[in-house]
Amino acid sequence: MRVSTVMMFERSVGSMNRQQSAFMEVGEQIASQKRVVRPSDDPQAASRAVGVSQSLATNSQQNDSRVTVRNSLSQEESVLNSVSDSLTRGKELLIQAGNGTLSDADRQSLATELRGVYEAVLGQANSTDGNGGYLFGGYQDGAEPFVKDASGAVQYAGADQVREQKVDSSRLMEVGNTGSDVFQTVAAGSGYVAKADTDNAGSLTFTGPQVTDTTADGYGDSYDISFSENVDGTFGYTIKGPADSITTGTYDGTSATLEFGGVRLTLEGAPADGDKLSTGPAKDMSPDIFTTFENMLSALENPLDSDVDKAAFANTLSTSSREMDNALDNVLTVRASVGSRLNELDTLDTVGSDRKISYAQTQSDLIDLDYTTAISDYVLRQVGLQASQKAFVDLQGTSLFDLM
Amino acid sequence: MSLFSIGLSGLSAAQNALSTTSNNISNVYTDGYSRQLTLLGQNSSGEGAGSGVSVDGIQRQYNSYISSQLNQVNSRQSALETYQSQVNQIDDLLADSDSGLTTLMQGFFSSVEDLTGAPADAAAREGVLGSSNSMAAQFRAYDSYLGDMREGINGQIGDVVTQVNNLSDQISDLNKQVTLARARSGEEPNALLDQRDKLVSDLGELVDVNVQVQDGSTYQVSLSNGMPLVAGNKSFDLVAVKDSEDPSSITIAYEDGAGSRSPLKESVIQGGELGGLMSFRSETLDSAQNQLGQLAVTLAQSFNAQHEAGVDLNGDPGKAFFEIGSPTLISRSTNTGDGSMDAEYGDVSQLTADDYRLTYQADGSYSVENLGSGETSVASPDADGTLSVGGVTLTPSGTPAEGDVFMLQPTRNAAAAFEVVLSDTSEIAAAGADSGGSGDNRNALALLELQNQKLVGGSATFSGGYASLVSDVGNRTAITQANLTTQEGLSDQLYAYQQADSGVNLDEEYANLMRYQQYYSANAKIIEAGSTILDTILGLRA
Repeated sequence: MRVSTVMMFERSVGSMNRQQSAFMEVGEQIASQKRVVRPSDDPQAASRAVGVSQSLATNSQQNDSRVTVRNSLSQEESVLNSVSDSLTRGKELLIQAGNGTLSDADRQSLATELRGVYEAVLGQANSTDGNGGYLFGGYQDGAEPFVKDASGAVQYAGADQVREQKVDSSRLMEVGNTGSDVFQTVAAGSGYVAKADTDNAGSLTFTGPQVTDTTADGYGDSYDISFSENVDGTFGYTIKGPADSITTGTYDGTSATLEFGGVRLTLEGAPADGDKLSTGPAKDMSPDIFTTFENMLSALENPLDSDVDKAAFANTLSTSSREMDNALDNVLTVRASVGSRLNELDTLDTVGSDRKISYAQTQSDLIDLDYTTAISDYVLRQVGLQASQKAFVDLQGTSLFDLM
Repeated sequence: MSLFSIGLSGLSAAQNALSTTSNNISNVYTDGYSRQLTLLGQNSSGEGAGSGVSVDGIQRQYNSYISSQLNQVNSRQSALETYQSQVNQIDDLLADSDSGLTTLMQGFFSSVEDLTGAPADAAAREGVLGSSNSMAAQFRAYDSYLGDMREGINGQIGDVVTQVNNLSDQISDLNKQVTLARARSGEEPNALLDQRDKLVSDLGELVDVNVQVQDGSTYQVSLSNGMPLVAGNKSFDLVAVKDSEDPSSITIAYEDGAGSRSPLKESVIQGGELGGLMSFRSETLDSAQNQLGQLAVTLAQSFNAQHEAGVDLNGDPGKAFFEIGSPTLISRSTNTGDGSMDAEYGDVSQLTADDYRLTYQADGSYSVENLGSGETSVASPDADGTLSVGGVTLTPSGTPAEGDVFMLQPTRNAAAAFEVVLSDTSEIAAAGADSGGSGDNRNALALLELQNQKLVGGSATFSGGYASLVSDVGNRTAITQANLTTQEGLSDQLYAYQQADSGVNLDEEYANLMRYQQYYSANAKIIEAGSTILDTILGLRA
């Protein structure tokens, strides 16, 4: 077959061009460190790489979220530590206040110290994070969550929901706790609290209540006990329980133990006609650590001039001690939940970084260059190019014209 | 017969052969040149010993069968090369990963994540606004890149049509010259024939044509549907015109002898540069721009819907975050009725990357053809007078005539109009519907979650939608490359066959040169011998 001179030239130039562009292609891969530079280099890999890069991006978003959440929770944890220290000190002061030999002046000085603790706890409840957001305000993190109203009582002004953040692909984590969860709630299973009516005029005091039988009928309900003076100097009492059920009995005015609804309440001293006690599960007795502080402070600041005063003081001390215990328990419970969230974040961090490595590996497998292959290709194509150049030179040198 | 005349005939034949060989050598690099051969024959006038050699003709070495095959292959190859140079541009666009669309979409959602962490924080809000603006700008940049390509194709179609018309003109002119030359001398006008075949081959690289030889001398050149571009010494023009169904596209019409124009279906032209341009536009460019638009519309609409469900920092309900245009609806320019339609986005999950042709029917319904899948259906206006096609709500008005056509491009121009309309950071609605306060991030969480929902066409996430664009374009580019390689192999092979007949090999020609030089010398010797003989006889007398 005739091979035309033009074709010989074009073929060998064409072959050099092809070798050159193949050589350049590997060169470009090596320079960019990628096997897939354009989608057409490997359409499946390129399109899967988009998906993997999205997974990497969401993984990194969740990692960012975990950093933010961890900051907030760590701050909360440290504030809760201070709160529990304060409440522990409050408890100690209450125990001191129970010492019957204290003078009014001694109690006044205890009151001064307790007020300090109270203000500290209030300050801790209104603490802010690095951005000026209130830690315990829930969604309402732009203003102090605990404010004193006109009467000096502390009111919760925060929201009842806290912000959540996406810390893992299917985990929304609460960033903190509301102030009401921390300061106005008791932990589950906190038992019973009893309170004497503030208008009581007798010298009746109570101890307890003790929970005796959690399986008893009526356990878990609240009870109101009211006293009336009989003509013979004894007292009648009425226990009003769930659904207006009523139990009545007689109290001799010195001491007695009442049992109802699986709860035991010990009474001492004589009530006045119309005196009342109320008791119920702690969660139903409007738990609020600030009210506890306020009640205790006013009791400590009130001089004990009579048996009635002493009884009122004893009753307030008894109620407050129990409320203080409950509050401390609750703070410790919240702190434990914060701690477990922090632990979970650590676990999620590990999972997230494992996932990141695996995604990055997948992405690399999809589009990154295998240097061993690339370099051997590079050398191979270099040889191909040189061979085609040599062929071109040789071909151009073979002309009959040169030989004749 | 004398030795002189025999020798002379040989000298003349040798000169002819030498000049043919020289012509071959000098034209070795001439495009379209076919090797020529001097045909020698024995002089038949003498008796007995014969009367020398005669030149029967100079024959052009040309195999019309292989040449026409080569032309067809080259026409397809040229279409693929054109296709490839276009599709490579989109391939390159999508290759840029650092500032690519996917990176910016990720950046946008990452800023929304920052917002969930600090919903009232001015910096986080500024971040959302900034990243959304970069993302929208990149959508527009991608779209304008594709739009520029569309403009470029429109311009190229015009240029190519002009070249086609020039070539048709020249071929018809050569038809005339060839006929004249043949009639005048009875010899083959080899140069003219080469020239005409070269023009036909050039024409094939622009548009796929059929060539038939009529009366053994004129070429009839016609399009694949039989419409002639060249018939005898007449030529007919193609015209680049605006598509009556989509004025943003330039398409091709055929102008007959009387000057009336009829639009050509794009399927008529599949080869050559024209075929490559038009098939690239309809197969790849349209769908790429539609997919980009679909992504933009879905992102904008779903983000807006969620944003409007939230409450901003001022306690007001969220406003639209993004602005996206409305679907493109074009009434065909040749419609006879005065019907028109308003088009608005409806259910975004129904939105496709396809275009639709609606044809008004006598019973008041519309026949709807999905131009992507080819499926047809019938849609009638409902009680509100609206009809729903591919996630678009259409409100017809006016009175269309039967057969009037409306072209619906739901997402073609959407990305171009993709903008952020919110400018005040306090208007970002991060809080839930019953705003719980400045720390409420419920809506921000819901916005963040959009990136994981299958919203694009109801079946893909945003990044999935982008990935399918990448995969479509990547596959299209890779397939074109593979087809082109195959076609090049085929073309190389046919070229080799064609060159085996028509090509010039310098070694061969040099050998011929030697041969004919010797041939010339030998014939001169004959004359010398004749002269010696004559001298001998004349010497006898003396």
